[in-house]
Amino acid sequence: MAVIAHDPSLPTQTHAEVTRDVVRTITDKPTTGYYILAGTMAFLVLVLLGTFTAILKYGLGLAGYSPPIMWSVYITTFVFWIGIGHAGTLISAILYLFRSRWRTAVYRSTEAMTVFAVMTAGLFPIIHIGRQWIFYWLIPYPNQRFLWPNFKSPLMWDVFAISTYLTVSSTFLVIGLVPDIAAVRDHVSGWKKKIYSALSLGWTGADSQWRHYSRAYLYLAALATPLVLSVHSVVSWDFAMSIVPGWHGTIFAPYFVAGAIYSGIGMVLTLVIPLRKVLKIEHMITSYHFDNLAKLTLFTGSILFYAYGMEYFIAWYSGSTFEQTTFWRRAFGPNWWAGWSMIICNAFVSQLLWFKKIRRNLTALFVISIFINIGMWFERWVIISMSLTNDYVPYAWGQINPTWADWGILAGSFGWFGLWFTLFYKNFPIVAIQEIKELIPMPRRSHGGGH
Amino acid sequence: MRKRFLIGLGAVLLAGTAIAVGSRVTSAQQPAPPAGTAVTLTRADSVRLEGPRQPIFFRHDVHAGQLKMQCQYCHYSVSYSSEPGIPSMQTCMGCHMYVSGSTPTNKAEIRKLTTAWGKKQPVQWIRIHELARHVHFPHSRHIFALGPDACATCHGNIARMPQVYKVNNVNNMGFCITCHIERKVTRDCSTCHY
Amino acid sequence: MADEAETQGVDRRQFLKVIGVSGAGAAVLSGCTTERVAKLVPYMVQSEDQVPGVPTWYASTCAECSSGCGVYVKTREGRPIKLEGNPDHPTNAGSLCSRGQAGLQSLYNPDRIKGPMARNAKGEFDLIKWDDAIARLAAKLSSAGGKVAAINGYGASTFSTFLADYVTALGGTTVAYEPFGREAERTANDRTWGKAELASYDFGAARHIVSFGADFLETWGPVVEQQRGFAASHGFHDGTMARMVFVGPRMSLTAANADEWLNVPAGSEALVALAMAQVVASRKGSPLAASLASYTPDAVAKDTGLTAAQITALAEAFAAASPSLAIAGGIPAQHRGAIELCQAVNLLNEAAGNIGRTVLFGTTVGGSDGYASMVSLFDKMGQGSVQVVLVHDANPLYAMPKDGKFAAAFAKVPFKVSTAAIIDETAAQCDLILPSLHALERWDDLHTRAGVTGLMQPVVQPVFQGMHFGDVLLKAAKTIAGPVAKFNDASFEARLKSAWQKVAAEQKAGDFDEFWRMALGRGGLFAPMAPAPQFPASKGAVSYTKPTFDGTGDYVFLPYPSSMYHDGRGTNKPWLLENPDPITKITWQSWVEMHPDTAAKIDVREGEIVELHSPHGMIRSQVYIYAGIRPDTMAMPLGLGHTAYGRYAKDRGVNALDLLGAADGQGFLPYVSTRVSVTRTEDYRKVARVDGMPRQLGRGIVQSMALMYAAKGMTPEEAYKAGGRAPVEENTELEQKAIEGWHDAQLENTKVGNYTGDHPKWGMAVDLSRCTGCSACVTACYAENNIPTVGEEQVFRRREMSWLRIERYWEGGEANEPLGVRFAPVMCQHCNNAPCEPVCPVYASYHTVDGLNGQVYNRCVGTRYCSNNCPFKVRYFNWLKYNDVAWPEPLNLQLNPDVTVRARGVMEKCTFCVQRIRAVQNTARIEGRDFKDGEIMTACAQACPSGAISFGNINDPAAKVVQWKKDPRGYVMLEGTNVQSSVTYLAKVLHDAPVAGRGES
Repeated sequence: MAVIAHDPSLPTQTHAEVTRDVVRTITDKPTTGYYILAGTMAFLVLVLLGTFTAILKYGLGLAGYSPPIMWSVYITTFVFWIGIGHAGTLISAILYLFRSRWRTAVYRSTEAMTVFAVMTAGLFPIIHIGRQWIFYWLIPYPNQRFLWPNFKSPLMWDVFAISTYLTVSSTFLVIGLVPDIAAVRDHVSGWKKKIYSALSLGWTGADSQWRHYSRAYLYLAALATPLVLSVHSVVSWDFAMSIVPGWHGTIFAPYFVAGAIYSGIGMVLTLVIPLRKVLKIEHMITSYHFDNLAKLTLFTGSILFYAYGMEYFIAWYSGSTFEQTTFWRRAFGPNWWAGWSMIICNAFVSQLLWFKKIRRNLTALFVISIFINIGMWFERWVIISMSLTNDYVPYAWGQINPTWADWGILAGSFGWFGLWFTLFYKNFPIVAIQEIKELIPMPRRSHGGGH
Repeated sequence: MRKRFLIGLGAVLLAGTAIAVGSRVTSAQQPAPPAGTAVTLTRADSVRLEGPRQPIFFRHDVHAGQLKMQCQYCHYSVSYSSEPGIPSMQTCMGCHMYVSGSTPTNKAEIRKLTTAWGKKQPVQWIRIHELARHVHFPHSRHIFALGPDACATCHGNIARMPQVYKVNNVNNMGFCITCHIERKVTRDCSTCHY
Repeated sequence: MADEAETQGVDRRQFLKVIGVSGAGAAVLSGCTTERVAKLVPYMVQSEDQVPGVPTWYASTCAECSSGCGVYVKTREGRPIKLEGNPDHPTNAGSLCSRGQAGLQSLYNPDRIKGPMARNAKGEFDLIKWDDAIARLAAKLSSAGGKVAAINGYGASTFSTFLADYVTALGGTTVAYEPFGREAERTANDRTWGKAELASYDFGAARHIVSFGADFLETWGPVVEQQRGFAASHGFHDGTMARMVFVGPRMSLTAANADEWLNVPAGSEALVALAMAQVVASRKGSPLAASLASYTPDAVAKDTGLTAAQITALAEAFAAASPSLAIAGGIPAQHRGAIELCQAVNLLNEAAGNIGRTVLFGTTVGGSDGYASMVSLFDKMGQGSVQVVLVHDANPLYAMPKDGKFAAAFAKVPFKVSTAAIIDETAAQCDLILPSLHALERWDDLHTRAGVTGLMQPVVQPVFQGMHFGDVLLKAAKTIAGPVAKFNDASFEARLKSAWQKVAAEQKAGDFDEFWRMALGRGGLFAPMAPAPQFPASKGAVSYTKPTFDGTGDYVFLPYPSSMYHDGRGTNKPWLLENPDPITKITWQSWVEMHPDTAAKIDVREGEIVELHSPHGMIRSQVYIYAGIRPDTMAMPLGLGHTAYGRYAKDRGVNALDLLGAADGQGFLPYVSTRVSVTRTEDYRKVARVDGMPRQLGRGIVQSMALMYAAKGMTPEEAYKAGGRAPVEENTELEQKAIEGWHDAQLENTKVGNYTGDHPKWGMAVDLSRCTGCSACVTACYAENNIPTVGEEQVFRRREMSWLRIERYWEGGEANEPLGVRFAPVMCQHCNNAPCEPVCPVYASYHTVDGLNGQVYNRCVGTRYCSNNCPFKVRYFNWLKYNDVAWPEPLNLQLNPDVTVRARGVMEKCTFCVQRIRAVQNTARIEGRDFKDGEIMTACAQACPSGAISFGNINDPAAKVVQWKKDPRGYVMLEGTNVQSSVTYLAKVLHDAPVAGRGES
C-alpha cells in the first residue's frame, strides 16, 4: 500500500462532510455567547447613533477638534476601515485569478469583512463634515442652481472610489454566495427555507447554471482586482495631493495600498482565529492557511517598513525645513508616543513572522494581529492628525485632545461593523462550500506496487 | 475633467433656460378684473385671490394699474439702495387724507388706514418676497441696468394684481442665474454671496 | 434651508423689519423676534436721513477714555453698527483703538439695566419709574443739608461743570476722579516749573525717544495720537527712522516696540534719567549741570544694574538727536518715587532743549482732582459727614485698593446714588441707580485740549430706558428749587446749546445755528491752540532716594494696565476679552508673569496657580512664563477680577489691586509699591493662549533688516546675505520650472468664462516697521464682519474665530541676549495660486474674477480640507452654534447687515471686506464712474492708528498699495510654496547697533 502524501491545501473530508460541517454552523441554535456578542455590538451601534445625533444637534465642536487639526479621529477611522476593506478583495479576487488554493477556506469570511468594513467607512465622510444634512452636494446631479461639484478635488474622487468599491465587492460577495445558499436551503425547513430559496435565486446546480456562474465569477474577479489597488491609492491622494508637510508624498499610493492589505489581513486573523474555534471548523481552516496569511502579512509589513524609512529619508533628502520639522517632531516631538507605536506595531512586530514557529502558532498570530490593528490605526492618526499639528506657520501650531464624541464614534463604528459580521456568520456559510468541494480529490484505486 | 464639466453644464443650461423661459410664459397673471367691476371687488372675492391676505386690502392693480402710479412713488429707495423701501404711513396719508374711497368696500379698507394713522400704529404688511439671508440683491443695480419698469421681471406684473402674490421664487438660484446668463453678466459667486 | 434656521435671531432683514413707529427704540424691543412670517413695518413718518439699505454716518465723540477721540458712527436703519475714527479730529485723525471701537458693546451691552432701580427693604433692587426715581433723589438732596458729595469720572465738559456748580449750589463738593490720573506728572511739572498741568508730546517730531515706564502705546495719554506720531517718526521712511529706548522692569507692548529695553529694577528709572540729564547737561553746557553733578553715570550704575558706559552712550545719543523726547509716568512706573522720576525726566528734557519742541505746554486741559482728594472724601464719608453721594461714570470701589476699607466708609453714607448703566461694584452698594445714557444716545460734549471740544449727539434711540444725568439733575432742580432753582433749562440739550453759545462767541461765529450745525456735522470744535512758548528755566535741583516697598517678599509686584481692559471698564466687552493681550496673547483670563529663571527657582510651570502674598492681601492666579520681565519682579494685568459689572466681567480673573496698600501721602496711588512672596498650590488651569509656537524657527514669517541695508534699498533677502548669514532655502531649478509653467497655465485660465476681460485685482501691503501690534485692526475686523466671540472654553481648543490675528514671535531672549519681539497682522493672503481652492469638493472656496479668494458660506459643506491645505491657517471653522451664543440681545443689533452671519458647520475667513468693495462698486456703477483709489478700504486698514496697512487695486499703477508693493523691503510670506499671495509685507527695520547694548541689531 503506497501511502499518498496529503497536500495540505486540499481538504480531508468528503463532499457530504463539507456540506454538513458548514451548514451546521447555521442550523445550530445560537449559544448564549453568541447573543452576548451580538448584544454588545448592537449596544455599540446605539452609541454610534447617540453620538451622531448629538453632533447633528450641537455641531462637530463636540469632538476634540482644535485648529489647526481639522481632521482627526473620524478621518483616521475612515481610512482605517477602508484599509481593512482591502484584504477581502485581494484574497477573494486576486488570489482567485492566481488560482491559489489556500484562499478557498478563508476567502468568504474575508470578503464579508471587506463589504462590512467599506460599509462602515462609508459612514465617515458624512459624519465628519460640518453640515451633514447637505452631504448630497458632493454628488454630481443636475440642479436648478446650475452648480456642479469640483471634480478637481480629491474628496470627489473619494466619493466615486468608495461607492464603486462598495458596489463591486458586495456584488462579488453575493454572487459567490448563491450556490452555498442553495446548499443551505436544502438543509433547512419552514420559513427559513422560504427565505433561503428566495436568496438562492432559484439555483438548482444545473450544468448551464454552473457554466454561467463560473464565467460571471471570473469576470467579477477581474473587475474587482484593479479596484484593490485604485481605491486606496485614491484615498491616499486625499493627503498626497495637499501641500501639508507629512502628507505631500509621491510614495503615498503604494504605501497606503500595502498598509491597507497589511491591516486587512491583520483584521482577518483577528476575526478568523476565534471564529474557526467557535464554529468548530478547525479542520477546514488549518494552520496551513494561517501560515500563508502570515507570509502575506510579513510581505506587506516589510513594504511598510521600507515606506517608513523612505519617508524619513525623503524628509531629510528634500532639504525642505517644513518636511524635516514634521518628521523630527513625529519621532521626538510632543506626540512621539504615537509615532513610535505606529513604527513598532507595524514595522517591527511584523518581522516576527519570519519564524515558522510563530506563523503556525495561532495564539501568537492572534496577539500579533491585535498589534497590527492598533498599529495601523495609529499610522493613520500619526499621518493625518500629527502632521497637521505642525505645518508652515509656527504661530498656528496646535495640539489635540479627542473627546467622548470622538471615542463614541470610533467605538460605534466597531459595533456597526461587528453587528453585520456577527449576523452574517451565523446566517450564511462562512466557508465557501462549493469551492472546497471542488478541491476534494477524486477517490482513486491503488494497485499494489504502484506504477 | 473640464470638458466633461462643460458638456454637463451646457446640457443643464439648455434645460434650465427652457424651464425658466417656459415658466415665464406660463406664469400668467390673474386676469385683471374689468375696470367696472374692479372697484366693487368685495372682501369675499379677494379670498379667492392668490397670495396672503394683507391687513389692509391694498390694491396694487388700482394704484399701479388704473392710476398708473410709478412704483418708485412708494418704493422710494429702489433706485439708489439695495432695499426698495416700503412707503411710510405718511406717504399713504398724503393722498388718503383726501381720497376716502368711492365704494363701501374701499371706504372700509381706507378707514383701516386712517385709524391706524390716528393710533400711530404702522400697518404690519405681510412680506411676500423674502430673499434668503445669504444672498445680497442690490435693487439699485438692477433698476439701473434694466430701467425703472424692470420690477416685473422678478415680481411679475404687479400692476395687474389685486392682491400681490409670489410669481417667481426669488430664492431659486437658478432663477437669478438664468437671467444673468441670458444677459451675459457676471456669474461670480461673490457678486451676491458674502 | 437649514442654515436659515441656524442663523435665526440675527436676521439681516430684521433691520428692515423693525424700522418702526418710534424708530430704533421700538426696534430694540422687537429687534430679535423669531417669528417665522416676516412682517414689513413701515415708518409712520419717513425721516430724511434714514434710507433703508444705505448707511448714515454721524459725527460723535468717544467716551471710552479721557482722550475723547472723534468718531464717525455708521448707522443702518437707525442703529449704530460700527465706530470709525473722525479724520478731522486732531487727536485720532481717522483711526480708533480697540477700546474705542468696542464702545458699541457698551451701548448694546446685554447687562445694561432696564431702568432706574431702588434698593428695597430686603436690600434688593427694584425697577422703578423715572418720576419716582427723580422724586426720591430730589427729596434726599434737599434734605441733605448741604452734606452732598459727587464723584465724577467724566472728563472736562459742559456737563462736568454743570454737575460741579449744581453740587456746590447744594453746598456739597465734587471730586473729579480718574483711576489713571497722572497726578505724579502734574505735581512734578509744578515742582519743576511751577505749572501744575500735563504736557503734550510730539512723538512725530522726536528723533530719539526714551520712555521711563510710560506705556504710551497702551494706556498712558492719548494713545492713538501718540501711536500715530510714533509710527511717523519710528517707522522707516526716507532711509531713516527715529530711535526709541524703554527703561523699566517689564517689557510692555510699548517696550516691545522699542529698539532697546533697559530692564532696570523698579524705582531706579529716575537714576538713569538723572544720570542722562547730568551727561546731557554737561555736554550742552546747560546751567542744570551743576545741580545734577552728584548723579554721574558711575554713581548710579550700581543701583540701576547698568554700566556707566551704557548710560553715557545712551545720554550722548539722546543729546545728539534733535529734537529728542524723554517721557515718564504711567502706572508701571508709579512707585513712591514717581514724582521725582518725572522731575528728573523734566530736567533731562530741559537739558536736551526739548521744551517747546517735543514737550509742549498750554494745550492740555482739566484733569482729575487726584487720588488724594478721593481718599479725603472717603474719610469724610467714614466720619458720616456725607448724607448723599452721587457717583457718575466712576467705579471707585473697584478701582481703589480694598486695603483702604473704602467700601466700609462708603456704606456709612445714608443715601448713595449711582448713574451706572451696568451695575458695577460701586452701584451694587448704592441705594438708587439712575442709569445714564451711552455716549451715542445723549447730548454731551468733551473738552480734551485747548480749543478742541468733541460733541456728542443722540444717533440712536435709548436702547434701554436710561436718562442723561444732566436731565435728571435739571428735573430734580425743579422740585428742590432753593439754591438750585437757577438751573432751570428745559433740558440738558438746551443747556449744552447755551454753553456753546459762548463758544460760538469766542470763535467769532456769526449765526449760532449755522455754527452749531457745522459743529455737529464736523463732530465738535477743532481749533487746537498753539502750545505756549518755551517755559522759564526750571528750579533745577532734585534729590532722589530709591522708593520704599511694603512687605518683605522676594519679588516686586508690578500691576500694569491692560491695553484692552484699561482701568477695568473694558472688561465687560467680549471683543476686548477675546482680543488677545498683544504681548502674552492670553484671552479671557488674568495671569502672573514671571521670568523663566524665577519659575525654575520656585519650580512652577505655565498654568500652575500660585498664591501671591503681600502685606495687604493675597491673590491666586495662574503663571505665565515671560522672558520680558526682571527675575526679581512679578507683573499682572489690571482690569479683571470684577465682583459685579455684568456677565462677562463678573468673577473673571483676579484684581491685582487687592495686593496694594491704599497708603498715600503723595497725592497718587502708588501702584508699584509692594513686595510679594509666592507659594505654590500645585493645581493648574489651562492658559487660554492663542499662540502655538512663539518662535519663527528661521522660516522668515516676520522678516526684519538692519537700517543700513534698508537705507541702501536692499531687499530683506539681500540684507540677510549681506549680514553674513547663510542664504535661506530657495526653490530648486526644477521647482522654478514648475512655477513658470504654472504661470503660463494661469494666463490660459484668465481667458475663460467670467475671468475674461479687465477686472480690478485687490491687493494689500503691510508695513511692519509701522505696525506696533496694538490689535485695533482685530477689533475692527470683529465689528465689520460679524465675527462671533467664542469664550474661554473654546479658546482652550484654539477655536477663536479672529479672521485677522496679530502674530507675535520672540527673537533671542535666551541666556543673556536681549529679547526681541516681532508683530505681524496675518489675514487671508488671498493667494493667486491658492491651495484651498482646488481641494474644495463643492467650489465653496474659489477664485473671484477680481483676484479675491472667495468663500461662499452657503455653499460650504464643511469638509475643512481647505483649512488643512492652507499654509497660513487663516481659515476659521464654526464648530458649534457660535452665532447663537455670541450675541445675546441686544448685542446682535450691532451686526453688520451687509455681511452674512455664518451658520454652524461652515468655514469662514477674511474676504478683504468684500462687502465694502461691492458697496463702492455699486455706487460707482450707478453714478457711472470708476471707484477712486482709497475709496475702498478694508476695516483693518481704516482702523490702524499707525497707518501700517494699505489696500487697493493693484492693476491701477497710481494706487498707493502699488507704490508700497514696489518698496524693496517688500516680501511675501512663505514664498517658497508659490501660493502667490496678494499681501505684501514690508520688512521691519532695526537699528544697526544698540546704543546701550540691550537691543537687537
